[in-house]
Amino acid sequence: MKKHFLKATALVSVLGLALQVPAQDTVKVGVLHSLSGTMAISETSLRDMLLFAFDQINDSGGIQVGGKSYKIDPVVVDGASNWPLFAEKAKELLEQDHVAVVFGCWTSVSRKSVLPVFEKDNGLLFYPVQFEGEEQSRNVVYTAEAVNQQAIPAVDYLLDQGIKKFYLLGTDYVYPRTTNLILYKYLLLHGIAPADIGGGFVKNDSGQVISAGKYVPFSYTDFQQIVADIKQFAAGGDACVINTINGDSNVPFFKEIVAAGLTPDECPVVSFSLAEDELRSIPTKNLVGELGCWSYFMSLKTPENKDFLGKWNGWLKSENYPGVVKEHRVVDSPMELSYDGAYLWKEAVEKAGSFDVDAVRKALDSGDISFNGPSGKITVQPDQYTTKNVYIGTTLANGQFEIVKQFPQVVGQPWMLKSLDAQLQAKGM
Amino acid sequence: MKFKLLFGALPAFLTVFLAVRAASAAPSAAGESASGTNVIRQELVQAILGGGGQRQALLDKIADSGSGVAAGILSAWTMQEVYLYAAPDGSTIPVTLESQQDAAGTSRAIRIDDGGFLKDASGKELRFGQSDLNAAYTNIRLRRQIQQALDTLALSAADPQARRAAAVKLGYSQKPGYVPILERRLAKERDPAVKKAIHVAIATLQLGGPSAAVQMAAVNELAALKSVGSLDTLTRLAANANNNPQLENRVKAAINSIQEHIRWVQFYGTLFHGISVGSVLLVVALGLAITFGLMGVINMAHGEMIAVGAYTTYVIQNLFGSGFAFSITLPFSIGGKAIAFGLNLPGLNASGWFYQSYFLFAIPLSFLSAALAGLLLERAIIQFLYRRPLESLLATWGVSLALQQIFRMVFGANNVQVSSPNWLLGHFSLDDVSLDYNRVFVVAFAIVIVLGTWILLSKTPLGLLIRAVMQNRDMAGCMGVRTGRVNMLTFAFGSGLAGLAGAFLSQIGNVGPSLGQTYIVDSFMTVVVGGVGNIAGTVYSALGIGTADQVLQQLTGSPVTGKIVSLVAIILFLQWKPGGLFAMRSRSLD
Repeated sequence: MKKHFLKATALVSVLGLALQVPAQDTVKVGVLHSLSGTMAISETSLRDMLLFAFDQINDSGGIQVGGKSYKIDPVVVDGASNWPLFAEKAKELLEQDHVAVVFGCWTSVSRKSVLPVFEKDNGLLFYPVQFEGEEQSRNVVYTAEAVNQQAIPAVDYLLDQGIKKFYLLGTDYVYPRTTNLILYKYLLLHGIAPADIGGGFVKNDSGQVISAGKYVPFSYTDFQQIVADIKQFAAGGDACVINTINGDSNVPFFKEIVAAGLTPDECPVVSFSLAEDELRSIPTKNLVGELGCWSYFMSLKTPENKDFLGKWNGWLKSENYPGVVKEHRVVDSPMELSYDGAYLWKEAVEKAGSFDVDAVRKALDSGDISFNGPSGKITVQPDQYTTKNVYIGTTLANGQFEIVKQFPQVVGQPWMLKSLDAQLQAKGM
Repeated sequence: MKFKLLFGALPAFLTVFLAVRAASAAPSAAGESASGTNVIRQELVQAILGGGGQRQALLDKIADSGSGVAAGILSAWTMQEVYLYAAPDGSTIPVTLESQQDAAGTSRAIRIDDGGFLKDASGKELRFGQSDLNAAYTNIRLRRQIQQALDTLALSAADPQARRAAAVKLGYSQKPGYVPILERRLAKERDPAVKKAIHVAIATLQLGGPSAAVQMAAVNELAALKSVGSLDTLTRLAANANNNPQLENRVKAAINSIQEHIRWVQFYGTLFHGISVGSVLLVVALGLAITFGLMGVINMAHGEMIAVGAYTTYVIQNLFGSGFAFSITLPFSIGGKAIAFGLNLPGLNASGWFYQSYFLFAIPLSFLSAALAGLLLERAIIQFLYRRPLESLLATWGVSLALQQIFRMVFGANNVQVSSPNWLLGHFSLDDVSLDYNRVFVVAFAIVIVLGTWILLSKTPLGLLIRAVMQNRDMAGCMGVRTGRVNMLTFAFGSGLAGLAGAFLSQIGNVGPSLGQTYIVDSFMTVVVGGVGNIAGTVYSALGIGTADQVLQQLTGSPVTGKIVSLVAIILFLQWKPGGLFAMRSRSLD
């Protein structure tokens, strides 16, 4: 009970801070993340990053519209890892607070629950976390990595490195299932035989593969048999594991991998849900040499990134928002994409000369709204996906990544399944 | 008894580990000729800085040298621990960092070209943190080239395991060029396991062989050796052998015999996995078999006692490393003053074997800390509730929530990192059935604690009192037994066992505030199926559930289905035998 009371006071004080800002020449902006519940561990970092971006924009003169300068007035609400509540809160932001834009959501299911609200009230949502694609709404800007900006480049890299066998393993929900099905089709297109794709298949009545790979429930801990299976699969060499396991199941999985003696040079594991933030609670000495693929790594050595990290650390020292943890902070791709999202929206508003959603969307759809962020240039495409750099890194013992490959300016593709099906059909496969 | 022994041996341990540390701190390996080593060092520098085709040639050359220095640097390279220092004169100097760090986290850099420390123009030793320098470039292909060089070096290693692993890897390299290297080694090799591995490696390489006769001989050899790793190669060969029916048939026969072998490997593997899962269940449930089974307390805080053990392991690990500190501010104030307290324990900054031994100290300390927590819980709450089981359920559930919140305040809401000591990471193989050290460890661990519990309960005076009090508290009281004290000690012992479970679970899974919740259901299930009040029943039920779960998982091919089927089976079983495997009448059930 006390905990809830505390959360409530924290929330009220955030809102309270917001209310002290002079009413004229401000624009309300919504932040919709889980600040409590299971997803809070990941999503709270995105809230912090957005507050940093807003402070930075306000301190450098705000947003210029019609010759006037507007300061951002954040309205932070808690989705509490509860998907129906996400929809409630979205409605509150759009209909009571009349925010100009919302930054938020982490899981695909939270995005799917707020989508009808945004479409009904014609709101605008910036979504920052890698996802399965296969969705395109006029009311969402997908700054997140689509499948072809994470999984596909990773597979290209592995193919290029001479990997011939792929074991697909993930947590049992929509993102891993969709991603693995896309990868299955992509691998077929690139001449990998179904026998060389491990984890098993589910076929429908007409014999078509509708699901590929091995799936475990959330928080699963016993990976003995799966790793024994992988070991047999990899016994002939040139194999890898595509890991879409989410959350803390990764720890027992990697401990089992290490115990079984599957080293990264024998059978590398490429993980799509492990970024710097998650690596903080995993014994990384077991993961050295395994692969990750994101559109941003904290270890990027560009001057933009160094400058960004310097300012972020400075902000952490000086800020006094309630609930922002100051110690042992790292930045990862979802955080960086949240930051980029704030600047892309500012750019679009300034170009449109208005906060009106339709006008801003028109500006976004023009294809020349872009921002030179810490990870390089990011551009909004007419389909509201984004074009950005993609990096592949190997894990280091300190929980950071050493970048081994860069794919510059990859165009986001919403409908991978359809296009792969068409290509497979064209090849008569 | 066991713990007494451990503590008795402590000083001896310490001296041995310290001696080992001192020995490993000496900078460079002795025994190789200085001029030869220098040539190799130059070649290593060229390989690290140069690119492309030249790199492979250099690595081959280095591999043939058999140099120990080269092996060390090459493996540092694959661990991304070779760094590039951009010297002021524009040249790039590859270095490794000394493992010993100063307070600022920086360490001296060792030049790869001469093995000395890196100095600036004035002769001062330079110090770097890990993130100050760029790691030398690697990618999967390069890692493999390096690894191949390491493997060739490893073929002449002193450790037979390493030689065997090296032979296996060379076999899959698909480079017939390795055949003469392997044959040279085979002539010298004495160890049978390594010999088998070299035979397989040579046969695998010869499958692509120069003539059909060589291929045929290689196929026969692989079939006879039952080489699992060759299955893919043989399948490919079968698909391409259309123009040679004799070879094709032979290959198919070989594939069949290897598949038969795999089925056996899977059978024994599953059996072992079943026993190990059963042992985990047993370790987790044994404490509950005492607090719930014997004492009749529906102890919902059992899971948190496990977490106490796991967090103790975490704290001990940190004490062996850089220390442990926490500070919490209570979320309310008294008289306008905020209440904050904290703890700052300095670490031993141990490394090497001494650090790896932290787990040996963590095991008894986990027992003690959980036993202490259990003792406090019993004195504060449970002693008033022995005759009211439903209230004990609510009270212990409340305690469990409170403890979880305390874990969050002290250790944070995120999971914490517990690294396994090296001697628990790894495995050995018995005819292709791979046995992980940590799984073998848990089986042995389970045997030891079951034996310990059995001895305590049936061979000691305390055990006699415990059994008397559990059977009939009033009667025991009348006979002059101090029942309150026996209850307290029994509950503390049960909680201590839960702490031991936590110490082990930290090695295979996550350590976080909700750790206990993951295992509470499994614990109750095991105890109930075994028959409440009967420790032997818990042993049989744990092993039975574990094996059934793994066998079903193997048969259905899905981790979830196996679990569901075994849960359904348990429900049906309890309909048939409501008292569990070994139903027993006791005070708690009257």
